[in-house]
Amino acid sequence: MKCHIPGPNVKVLGRTIHALARLGDELYLESLSDCILLRTLNAAESAYAMVKFNKNFFSYFNYNYYCTDDKEGLKCKISMKSALNTFKSPTHMDKQVENLEIKLDADSCKLIFVVKCKHGIVKTHFVSILDCKAMQAVYTKDLVPNRITSPHKILSEAIGNFQNSDDQLTIEAFSNSLIIRNYIDSKTDLTKVIRTQISIKPIEFDSYIIGEETTITFTLKEFRALLAFAEALSLPIQLHFEVTGKPAVFIVHNGSTFEAHFVLATSKPDIPTQETPTQNNSMIDRKRKEVDNTQGTVRKKAHLSIDLSKCLDEDSHLFNFIDIPEDGTEVEKENQTQKVWHTSKIDCDNIPPSPTSKMKLKTIFKRCFESTFDVRSIQGNVLAENSDSE
Amino acid sequence: MKARMDDGTSQYYFTASMDSGKTLCSLLKAIQFQESAVFCAMQEGLKLTVEEGKCVQASAYVPSDNFTEYHVRDDVDVIFKISIAVLTECLNIFGSAEESSLKMYYRCEGSPLLLVLQPQSFSNVMTDCEIATQTADSLLELRDEDTSEVAKLVLKAPAFLGLLADLEKSCDVMEMHLSPEHPNVSIVTYGMQDRSCIDMPKSSDMVQSFSCEEAVTLKYQLQHIRLIMKALAVSSKVVLRCSSNGLLLLQLKLEKEDQRQMFSEFYIVPLLDD
Amino acid sequence: MKFRAVMMDSSPMREFANIVSTISKLSKECILRLSSDQLYFIVSEENNGPAPPILWCEVPQALFFSEYQIVGVDDEHKDIYLGIISANLSKSLVTLKTAKSLKMKLTKKQCPCLTLEIDLPSITMQQSRLVTHDVPVIVIPRKLWTEFHEPRVPRPDISIELPSLKQLRTTIDRMKTMSPEVVLRASAEGRLTLQIKTDLAKVSTRFRDLRVEAFEGPIDHSDSESESQINEDVSRVCYCRVDAKKFSMFLSADNISHNRTICSIVHKKLVTLCLQTEENVKLQCFITGIVY
Repeated sequence: MKCHIPGPNVKVLGRTIHALARLGDELYLESLSDCILLRTLNAAESAYAMVKFNKNFFSYFNYNYYCTDDKEGLKCKISMKSALNTFKSPTHMDKQVENLEIKLDADSCKLIFVVKCKHGIVKTHFVSILDCKAMQAVYTKDLVPNRITSPHKILSEAIGNFQNSDDQLTIEAFSNSLIIRNYIDSKTDLTKVIRTQISIKPIEFDSYIIGEETTITFTLKEFRALLAFAEALSLPIQLHFEVTGKPAVFIVHNGSTFEAHFVLATSKPDIPTQETPTQNNSMIDRKRKEVDNTQGTVRKKAHLSIDLSKCLDEDSHLFNFIDIPEDGTEVEKENQTQKVWHTSKIDCDNIPPSPTSKMKLKTIFKRCFESTFDVRSIQGNVLAENSDSE
Repeated sequence: MKARMDDGTSQYYFTASMDSGKTLCSLLKAIQFQESAVFCAMQEGLKLTVEEGKCVQASAYVPSDNFTEYHVRDDVDVIFKISIAVLTECLNIFGSAEESSLKMYYRCEGSPLLLVLQPQSFSNVMTDCEIATQTADSLLELRDEDTSEVAKLVLKAPAFLGLLADLEKSCDVMEMHLSPEHPNVSIVTYGMQDRSCIDMPKSSDMVQSFSCEEAVTLKYQLQHIRLIMKALAVSSKVVLRCSSNGLLLLQLKLEKEDQRQMFSEFYIVPLLDD
Repeated sequence: MKFRAVMMDSSPMREFANIVSTISKLSKECILRLSSDQLYFIVSEENNGPAPPILWCEVPQALFFSEYQIVGVDDEHKDIYLGIISANLSKSLVTLKTAKSLKMKLTKKQCPCLTLEIDLPSITMQQSRLVTHDVPVIVIPRKLWTEFHEPRVPRPDISIELPSLKQLRTTIDRMKTMSPEVVLRASAEGRLTLQIKTDLAKVSTRFRDLRVEAFEGPIDHSDSESESQINEDVSRVCYCRVDAKKFSMFLSADNISHNRTICSIVHKKLVTLCLQTEENVKLQCFITGIVY
């Protein structure tokens, strides 16, 4: 496989990698005759993402370059960390990157990312291929009764009302309102947790079709990742879901060059909403057993991906600070104002070494380290003999 | 304590004053990777030096024309050890957003360093600090007159900072390949299973000048190289010089609004193959 | 027991959010006492056993709420005392700055809660969304109410108006990295000095021309080794050594728009900081002096 991505699209790929990195630790790449697919799965196997880049996303596209068999494209798995290394700060890449080439080096079993930046700088990353297989998940996207298209801002603002400590989100979809609340399970100590609920009217969404009123619960962490992705690219989010237990599909696409699917497993909550009058029943609800989750469990996540984002944020801050100057007109000015320490003329590329103190620092034991040091040469009384004298 | 410079301080070993200590503070913070520094007031200017083990020596150098008043007695040596952490906290006592005037006094050997700061925005407040001083440790003598310079590279500081920020932090070693052949300058880092390489040809407009007679490969501890990043962030230009023994000297120039300059220098010892 | 209150104007909502945010920085837990004319936020030292409060904040409800109804347990006990995690309250009120209205009421969901209903405008501005937060609280039994009375402090030796809290905080934050304790010195001449002293350094920040509200001198310094400035009359100076972090935490109240802050010192024993706003909110913080 060999392909070229033009400058403006590199940022999109970078954002994609960052979003996928918040889900899983491994990235699967597959090149087909008309597109490239990136996929990942989280450790708990409760969240899956697939991003498809069509041929028109690339300025050059050859899906089976280097292969003798015409039908076979590339299928491989690389570490997510390696992928992130190439796309350290997507916002910065937008300004600096002219072109990105991705190609397979079959001999060394490495995937090579060649980033051509402005000012003639070229960054090359040789990424080891961990495995040569594809990964795929099965889910229903189109034949679902419930479909909502939402501007990314509505959902981002709604999620802003929840705490960082909230683990899971419950969405109750009614035909006349959408209620989002943090999920509380029977094990949570209710005296310690804030219960938050927000209700949004259907008119706020671009489109709102609820064929079957239902309640679904999924993890907030991956939801935040896909929201951040949509926000970074200023694109709306489509929610496609059916009954509880079946996975919910979130789609972000720009209608032409790429389409991203985020598939989150869902479960049914066992405590009713804050609005329902059936508060007396809640005691019974709590004693009920955990609902059987048919399509994957929603368990605690591994912490690895969280640490990755933190490292990235640190570097991104540093990177965003820089504004690489465009031209070299400053050089002439320096010639005139260059400081002259000694009276000789200094050219602008020569910074003379800083002056050193003329004085040699007195070290206390300096004499003892001199090779010619002779104990007998000390004048005066010796107050303390060597304790290991021969 | 009232402080006008000539009030009975003419016999002091060292006195200096500045309209604003802000730039000095940023420069000192850029070399603050250890608790203490050697403070040396010379006729030409002020120099503070920090060392990390036997591998890195960093100095901040402030030529005397950066000061409104600068006086060093020429019959004595003004050199002592001081906590650079405390010094920068004191210089920053009114916050980094505030321009504060600064006066420094060092009476004689063993005296504390006295600082007097007054913020420009508020007239009814001032701070005085007495910072303890100790006898200075000896500094590494890294410059070797017998070695020659094998390569020199001059870059804009923000550009070099951008390159360093892109290197994978978790890598231990940074390899630098310098050669008269294309691509001239390559920086390579190795990860667990991967390798990354940044090529910068001399034709790049990030490179202000480049000279190299023979191809050379040098290795440094990436953590040591990263120590210069804070200094790069406040500087305008950086000059890299490699000696034949592998010693790397980075000289950074910081230019203030009034066209005065301050400098920082980093000597980094290479990793040698066993 | 019943409590229901509604806030409609943006300025009180913003101030209320700032007050709660400051309190959450000062302490993890606090007592919210609701009475017919005031809300009180009370924080005690987190030690075992009863201790006088270290923070006492009064918010007159009339200037904040457009509706306010409270019914106590019985006629003799008209107030309601609630134990609450201040961080929970603060986090829930973050969106108050852009909200249209706030309703607070005492409810019983699975446990007693202070329920906050916030009406938020949406992007389209014609729609609004309702956010509900159920913040769990503990109802404090009547027999414990005596622990939460306004502390009686000895008459201070000096009361002096502080310079801007922001300015103080900037300096204290630098000082606290160098020393765990700071000495506050105030003189009847209107001078205030913050001073730290360690093996490595002695740093003094000196303010002058401050307004002295009251001075109950002269101060007896016969038992101390305090240094004196030249030309200073020590009988008109008093000081107190306090924990630098605690002092810095109080200074984070600078985001509450306020009229003035008075610092009162009982020589060597106690520092009281009292912040007052235009809406008559009074925030008092008591820092015990460190004595060797």
